[in-house]
Amino acid sequence: MLTARGSDQRSDIRPVQSRARLLGAWWGPALGLSALGLITSVEAERTATREIFFNVAQPWAVYVFTASLVGLLIYGFGRHATLWAIGQPTPNLRDEVSQRLRNAVRLGLAQEKIGRDRYAAVMHWCIFSSIVVLTFVTAQVAIDDDFSLHFLRGPYYLFFSFYGDLFGLVGLVGVGMALYRRYIDNLHRIHWDERLEDHLIIWGLGLILLTGFAVESLRITVDELVQHPDWARWSFVSFGVAHFLALFEFEEPQLLSAHVWMWWGHLVLAMGWLGLIVFTKLDHMFFAPINAFLLRTDSPGRLTKIENIEEREVFGVGQIQDFTWKQLFELDACVSCGRCTAVCPANIAGQPLSPMHLIQDLKLHLADVGPAIQHAGHEGHDVRAVSPLAMVGEVIKDETLWACRTCGACVQECPVLIEHVPTIVDMRRYLVMDEARVPATAQAALENLEQRGHPWRGATLTRTSWMEGLGEVPIFDGSQEYLYWVGCAGSLVERNLPVTQSVFRLLREAGASFGVLGQEETCSGDPARRLGNEYLYQILAGQLVETFKAKNVQRVITNCPHCFNTFKNEYPQFGGRFEVLHHTEFLAKSLQQGDLKPQYPIAEQVTYHDSCYLGRMNGVYEAPRQIIEFLPGAKVTEMQRSMSRGLCCGAGGGNMWLEEVGARRVNHVRAEEAMQTGAQSVISNCPFCIQMFEDGIPAVQPQEEGRMRVFDVAELLDRAVFGTDGAGRGSQSS
Amino acid sequence: MHLVVCAKQIPDPETPPSAFKIDTVANAVVPVPGISPVLSPFDAQAAEAALRIKEKVGESKVTVISLGKESAQAAIKQVLAMGADEGVLLNDDAFEGGDSYTTAHALAAAIKKLGDVDAVICGRQAADWDMGQVGLGIAEELGWPGAIVAKDVQAADGALLVQRVLLDGFETVRMPLPAVITVSNELGDPRYPKLQQIMQAAKKTVTTWTAADLGLDAASVGKAGSRLRLERLAQPEAGGAVQIIEGDTPEAQAQALAQALRDARII
Repeated sequence: MLTARGSDQRSDIRPVQSRARLLGAWWGPALGLSALGLITSVEAERTATREIFFNVAQPWAVYVFTASLVGLLIYGFGRHATLWAIGQPTPNLRDEVSQRLRNAVRLGLAQEKIGRDRYAAVMHWCIFSSIVVLTFVTAQVAIDDDFSLHFLRGPYYLFFSFYGDLFGLVGLVGVGMALYRRYIDNLHRIHWDERLEDHLIIWGLGLILLTGFAVESLRITVDELVQHPDWARWSFVSFGVAHFLALFEFEEPQLLSAHVWMWWGHLVLAMGWLGLIVFTKLDHMFFAPINAFLLRTDSPGRLTKIENIEEREVFGVGQIQDFTWKQLFELDACVSCGRCTAVCPANIAGQPLSPMHLIQDLKLHLADVGPAIQHAGHEGHDVRAVSPLAMVGEVIKDETLWACRTCGACVQECPVLIEHVPTIVDMRRYLVMDEARVPATAQAALENLEQRGHPWRGATLTRTSWMEGLGEVPIFDGSQEYLYWVGCAGSLVERNLPVTQSVFRLLREAGASFGVLGQEETCSGDPARRLGNEYLYQILAGQLVETFKAKNVQRVITNCPHCFNTFKNEYPQFGGRFEVLHHTEFLAKSLQQGDLKPQYPIAEQVTYHDSCYLGRMNGVYEAPRQIIEFLPGAKVTEMQRSMSRGLCCGAGGGNMWLEEVGARRVNHVRAEEAMQTGAQSVISNCPFCIQMFEDGIPAVQPQEEGRMRVFDVAELLDRAVFGTDGAGRGSQSS
Repeated sequence: MHLVVCAKQIPDPETPPSAFKIDTVANAVVPVPGISPVLSPFDAQAAEAALRIKEKVGESKVTVISLGKESAQAAIKQVLAMGADEGVLLNDDAFEGGDSYTTAHALAAAIKKLGDVDAVICGRQAADWDMGQVGLGIAEELGWPGAIVAKDVQAADGALLVQRVLLDGFETVRMPLPAVITVSNELGDPRYPKLQQIMQAAKKTVTTWTAADLGLDAASVGKAGSRLRLERLAQPEAGGAVQIIEGDTPEAQAQALAQALRDARII
């Protein structure tokens, strides 16, 4: 079983101002040191400098190399670009440009996401900053010489020598950390898609830095050490090495000859390594910041709407050219770091989905058939007849697409900002709408949605069954402030009825002005959209938006995070803009305002499970935790994976209605994780999570005695407010 | 080959029991507000059987016929979306209140009117009244051979090879054409329509025939022609009781449970 590393649980939910602190932590020490160097160097010798191209007879070769490198980069990226160009237009790119630029800086250049693995963050920063600074160092040498500016003299030259060495050293530390991780620590995820390039890049970089120091040390041994040891001191690393070399008392010609060899070796390695940018994952140095710019600026909980769906010939993405060019572009940004796969619930349970391999397979497929498709398009031939392989079905297997929970863990982790979930759902759309290739259980759910407006085949309850024994239940008529949206799970699935009843009682107790739709509720459409039936979703969502408008709904409280997400993030696509709250948000506020008074003890050891669509997709991590803090006597132990790192219960993305394929079930894995906290109860906020735990817990805790139980936050709050014997929670209408 | 599928729209069999109500005075099922009628599941399987034959045999046509009210258009459209070519709705006030016999009579008349039909495929029974009479009734009316409760239907040189489900297995019969077949759920899940097909089906027009169009005397169809007289319609009372099986050891409990089940004639 694959398990994630790095369990610094809450580190990823940083308040905004700490981004600056993050950047400070990166660059602060380096800049501080550099500044120190600058101040002291001003006091030093004003004539300090060195001969550019010292001891090198054919310096023009550098320009030949540089020219070839630039040519190679242009050619290579040009080839990439022709492949991206076979994709479809990318909508909304011109919106929110300032947000996009911020993303490019924050996520691209400052690499905020890499920090989710701290070791990698330090390692990557060392390598990144050293490459940036040393490129700058080299560029200054070139400018100094080419334009005869000769600014590399005096104090600046000494300072220049200092920070050049400093970042050379920083780079070596980074390379050392990378080598340790790859070969000694053997971190699993970086070996899942290991290739020759992974070794070449890191060893190559190490050699470039070492030869760089060797060249400098040899020059200093011959030259500065003798003539200006006080200048040489500024190149503190090479100065030390030069001292060491001086111990051997080599002849000057020997040193000069070694210097020439090293110089050329350094040049060839550096140019060759930079050439790798075109052929290897090194291209991420350009693609990652660009992809950060291209990143969606709306909620990750929103899937794209297919516009004018009735006029289309192909509804989903069945062939590579059906993706938008942004989706093709991001395939090239992937560096196979495996972070996505390491956190994927399907993968953790041994099911047939690895987001990294999915992206890599698509990338390979694009390289395979892209040129021919581009050619066919150019010649006016049928581009759909080009690929000998079916992308959906053969390159990417059906079972892989169905295994996705759309939980967004992969998207959350991806350091180069790839959005796997929309890409997967686009292919599901093809499976469902174009091919009608749907697993039987999912088909039953979709047909049920079409015919009965809810996904629960064989439901025996009605949408008003939960109202029994609650006294008068107000029906929403537009006069109340809130519509309490119960949802299909909250009304038709037996286990979830107590949750609905608890929320209802608490809303009433808190004095909220609200009503329900009762028999008039229908599915929000979320399962249809996640399963890939966008057409059905648009019908259901469109109808409901009309109903809400007709009833003058302004504010909605939902039971279910899935309804919550689609109302909040997706209904605006259909002109439905409402204020949407999850019940935990409302209840947390009521508690803070003193509208609800928990008085009965819940003396229990509990743990809290973040549902993906409340947590990761919508950032509601605190409200449910605040409610738990209000429960008298309850002690919370967080699971190792929690908050934005929380693991899906297994039901997301329509998997509530799919048979699981693979070694384990996701809910068994998650139930086990909850159990490991020693909690007596696991608390969630989602009807699907609750059902998954109800099934999963007995599987991992076969003994009925002392078995962990699962509750919605509202159920426990209900107990704390009204007591276990139900005193005062009967049918009075407050 | 021209195949006809007979499809009935019925009250949703998944209506929650608590919502299902009977008007004991009128002896009729009260439609539940908010619950739409659906295509009888066995008829969806009949459509699936016909479409499988159509896929194997080139140059085939599938026509779906339904006897019902205007709302039955939805059931016809559903079969059209699955891949049927044409739809016919038999809609006439005169058809109201009929029984299996009058339904078979009207459907057979429609099939005759279509003319060149090679085979008629029906569900084994409509999932509302569960009579299972109409299929063979059509065969009788048309004077064609009939085979019921099929789990597989294959076209084979001008005939149909039909696997019939028996209590202890199945038998394969060779049906000369034209013939009438009824299919069972053992046939497998009906297909999920592609969106393209759903949209095409939505654009198709369904032909409507009345009793007069079929040349039927109003007295021979509907309530007037009905031979079945409904005496009383009642709702079974559902109840439950719990019996705790005692026993000192799990083995003893299991034994007691087995005995209790045997006494209740369940095993």
